[in-house]
Amino acid sequence: MSDLVAPPPGFTPMTLADPFERHVGPVFEKTVAESRRFAIRIGEQHVNVRGILHGGMLATFADLALGAAVMDAAANAPSVTLSMQMQYLKPARLGDIVEVQPELLRRTRALVFIRGDFTVAGEIVFAAMSTWKLLGQH
Amino acid sequence: MDPIPRKDDEDISLTGFNRHVGPLHRLASTPDGTERFAFTVEAKHMNASAVVHGGMLMAFIDVAMSHSARSAAGGAALLSTVALNCDFVSPARLGDTIEARVRVNRCTRSVVFLSGQLFAEECLLLAATGLWKIAGSR
Repeated sequence: MSDLVAPPPGFTPMTLADPFERHVGPVFEKTVAESRRFAIRIGEQHVNVRGILHGGMLATFADLALGAAVMDAAANAPSVTLSMQMQYLKPARLGDIVEVQPELLRRTRALVFIRGDFTVAGEIVFAAMSTWKLLGQH
Repeated sequence: MDPIPRKDDEDISLTGFNRHVGPLHRLASTPDGTERFAFTVEAKHMNASAVVHGGMLMAFIDVAMSHSARSAAGGAALLSTVALNCDFVSPARLGDTIEARVRVNRCTRSVVFLSGQLFAEECLLLAATGLWKIAGSR
């Protein structure tokens, strides 16, 4: 199914290592100003009974995209999500393309602070702020 | 915890995203009013590090808190997630039965305040708080 979904203009399919991400994908990416920008195209498997993007899918996309940006910031060191704070500003609908370019706030030896504004056609629909632990670091 | 579903467990994953990531079940609430939900971890829920993907844990607590909010609001109302905050306390593994326990802290005409936790046996996996908006209210 995933291969049949066309990438948004300028994006290419992202290689997903996690079974759950492959299950809910596909996810697309492109490089903008030396950092990665991520996108999903909302399909039937992403929505609730009202045709609105499921909050759990947005949370999953946030974990995936912010996690990829954490790996970029930490030279691919293994990491885990410690916390995620999310605001759902506006519904996104079947067929919409949701994009995010994560913003690195701070990286210490053991922690990464990161956030992202998620947009549909340039309008913010969702925001996430997250703290990550780099494994093996104190 | 016994494998689910058991007698009287209600399947709450009949359409869209819930069906794609499910099955998810609603269990009987406890006498003190705690709402309970459960799912059993399958291969599709995992990440590449052999623990359950954080996105799936957030999706499940979102579903559990949404259903609890709807019950608190009288059942018929349309609700949407406004804010969700999650702390990832412990990892979960393949084959675990994960139980959600949700408390409604306050329900006004327009907003429901909830807290929720995920457990595998008695090990705390995730702790969440969230706000749900009742549609059509001010």
